[in-house]
Amino acid sequence: MLLIRAIVRPEKKDEVLASLSKAGFPAATVVDVVGRGKQKGIKMGGMLYDEIPKILIMVAIHDEERENIIDVILKTARTGEDGTFGDGKIFITPLEEVYTISRGGRGL
Amino acid sequence: MKEIMAVVRMNKTNATKKALIDAGVAGFTAIKVLGRGKPVEDPAVIQERKNKLLEMAVHESIDAEEAERQVVSFLDGSRLFPRRLFTILAHDDDVPRIIEAITRANKTEHNVGDGTIFVMPIADAVRVRTGETGEAAIW
Repeated sequence: MLLIRAIVRPEKKDEVLASLSKAGFPAATVVDVVGRGKQKGIKMGGMLYDEIPKILIMVAIHDEERENIIDVILKTARTGEDGTFGDGKIFITPLEEVYTISRGGRGL
Repeated sequence: MKEIMAVVRMNKTNATKKALIDAGVAGFTAIKVLGRGKPVEDPAVIQERKNKLLEMAVHESIDAEEAERQVVSFLDGSRLFPRRLFTILAHDDDVPRIIEAITRANKTEHNVGDGTIFVMPIADAVRVRTGETGEAAIW
């Protein structure tokens, strides 16, 4: 199993969540975060903004769903033809065990 | 060394904290998150919840159609609900005990929405105060 952590633009949140739902990933955890990327933030009128609001979406998946979910997120979270700085990132970490509390058992 | 991430109900925060202390694990990081799980598929359960929620709607201030629309949005699996995300670092041996404690504190009779626990490996940890690394940095 894998844990996908995707950082996306706040205005893309609903769109990404809807397309994840449609692609068979209804479950997700969503956190408001702030961050900056390689561009060190945005400089506007002499002010440097380096705490840019983003949305962190966490989804637990089976290994074989990896390509599919990455595809879905890339397709919906990108802005413009070739993407733009600030569209976000996807991190993938191995997940050893998952427990669903209401079911009281192991597994997604 | 493992990282345990547990998504629990907001009103179970205190119960979870107490359960962790009882399990001998006092340290944690908690943040407010929004989440949704697998949609409920059993039509009988959905109908029962729907009736219950519709009963709660105040009919003077909201017309039936609007109430119906809002209630359905609660049940169709598209809405995000507030939850608390606990992050706990643990030694490998303590993981089953912690999971047991969190599960016991958070199980309700509702059968859905009690949350999920993720366990993942972490490569290293450093205690900032002393510079200790690895297992010694956890507790």
